[in-house]
Amino acid sequence: MPEPRVTLFADPDAAARALRRLHEAGVTDARVVSSAPFPAVHLTGRPGPWPVLGKVALAGAVTGLTCAALLQALTSRSMGLVVGGKPILAWPAFGVIMFELTMLFAGAANFIALVLLAAGARRRVAAVARAAVSSEQIAVVVPAERLEGPRAAAVLRALEEGRP
Amino acid sequence: MDAPDLTRIERDMVGTMSRTSWRYWLGLGLSASLVVVGGVAWSLALRRGLGVFGLDEPVMWGSLITTFVFFIGVSHSGTLVSAILFFARSPLRAAIGRSAEAMTVITILTAGLYPIIHIGRSWLFYFVLAYPNQRQLWPNFRSPLTWDVFAISSYVTVSALFLYMGMLPDLAMLARRVTGWRRPLYRALSLGFSGTDAEWALLERAYPIFAGVVIPLAVSVHSVVSWDFAMSVMPGWHSSIFAPYFVAGAIFSGIAMAILLLAGLRRGYRLERYIRPEHFEMLSKLLLAASLVMTFTYATEFFMAFFHGSQAEAEVFRWRPTGTYAWVFWLVIVCNSVAPLACFWGRVRRSLPALVIISVLVSIGMWFERFLFIVTTLAHHYLPQNWGFYRPTVPELLICLGGFGWFFTLFLLFIKIFPSISVAETMERQHAAAHEPGMEPGHA
Repeated sequence: MPEPRVTLFADPDAAARALRRLHEAGVTDARVVSSAPFPAVHLTGRPGPWPVLGKVALAGAVTGLTCAALLQALTSRSMGLVVGGKPILAWPAFGVIMFELTMLFAGAANFIALVLLAAGARRRVAAVARAAVSSEQIAVVVPAERLEGPRAAAVLRALEEGRP
Repeated sequence: MDAPDLTRIERDMVGTMSRTSWRYWLGLGLSASLVVVGGVAWSLALRRGLGVFGLDEPVMWGSLITTFVFFIGVSHSGTLVSAILFFARSPLRAAIGRSAEAMTVITILTAGLYPIIHIGRSWLFYFVLAYPNQRQLWPNFRSPLTWDVFAISSYVTVSALFLYMGMLPDLAMLARRVTGWRRPLYRALSLGFSGTDAEWALLERAYPIFAGVVIPLAVSVHSVVSWDFAMSVMPGWHSSIFAPYFVAGAIFSGIAMAILLLAGLRRGYRLERYIRPEHFEMLSKLLLAASLVMTFTYATEFFMAFFHGSQAEAEVFRWRPTGTYAWVFWLVIVCNSVAPLACFWGRVRRSLPALVIISVLVSIGMWFERFLFIVTTLAHHYLPQNWGFYRPTVPELLICLGGFGWFFTLFLLFIKIFPSISVAETMERQHAAAHEPGMEPGHA
């Protein structure tokens, strides 16, 4: 199986230039890896937009709301005690915990979705690129299939010209 | 001062974790000693019972609940301010966000100790949790004290995740840079984050959603803590202003604590390039604004107490500035309403020693403010024959001091294990400053 082409850049601007050339050559699915804690994606592309994250958070919120409502309603009914003159099912009083658990579940769902989606996205970038990139470097990864055919020369030239 | 380059940023931040000065060990030693002293005092209470505290009818909530409310207030500001600064795209966030978020998590962990200590039989604290048991007893979900348990546990979970999510890129960087026992730790904590553009895009999509969850949650937590008091019918407590009043007070005390922590970080780790005078100036303006809101709230409380005609309410508010605890009242006014007014002067805002002094005064003032409204209402409510007096005992005071020691110990350990300033955000801002002519280069 042919390997993707990994090109290392010391400068984010050089990587951005290379990406622009690749786009001009029709290669729009090049990926970027940077070991520095620096979001090079600002310069070089923005895969996504990952709308599923918002939907997962919303699903988490609905789950939290439902769990809180059920917890309070079912346990209050099971005991059946009138406390402070309040009705057994005191929905205004239950509102606070319903709000808290709604937010808690929304946040937790968002975090779990981030971790799982990031693991999936990471797999799609060649391990060889992630291993090759070291401190203060940015790797531009071009899929192997883009290197075959008539565009290959343009792609390689784009990467070379993108170097500082 | 020169703007630091990207390599230097990384080196400086990693350096804060590898360099350990004598000041650090001194601070850690002092705070750990306070923890030991507080622990000994608590063990006395566990062995001899609640009688070692000064609590007695009619004042059954004293300095321990005061410290609980104080720390919840401090916790409030960190995550909330960080999330708001994130949406505002403020340069202040890169400098203070990480410390403020860590402060939030640590203060909630500290605050949570006090109700557990206060109940006396601390090993039975799990009774307040909603768990299936053979007696089929459940917490009273109509009680603000039960709301508190849910609100605080939700807030600490979400705040910890918020802090952790923001640290992922830094942890991945550290996993590559460091050696020894830290390396497997960071590798595990970074959850495999390797800096691909897809991961960054995901993080940048997920983070605003999380920040959007954090802000209402933060506001709700201190509102719920205020309802511990306001839902009762006690004079001085039963007021609709309590939730916003608590939220404003929480932001006020949190900013003061943030100034103290950042001043210590800047001095202790020579981080003058990253925590800059303009950051402190912005914080001092926030402190001043919060102080004015607090003063307005104090005035409103008094106005309403004397205006609406409740004799018991008026008596409590007459007693606060003139009665047994008058010195506490006037101390609160001086610390919370008068001292921060100095921030109207630009020279004070730009003077770090002056800001540290004001922040210490505000922290003292906010602890006593919590003490004042809790104790004066309980000691002086409806029936004159029930009026009483409360004085904290030595074990109570030592437990309160131990809480401060616990807070500073955890914070000092945090900055030794994790970067106290976000490396990723500092780099991002620095790079943007180098490429955008309108942006101030030093605003890392």
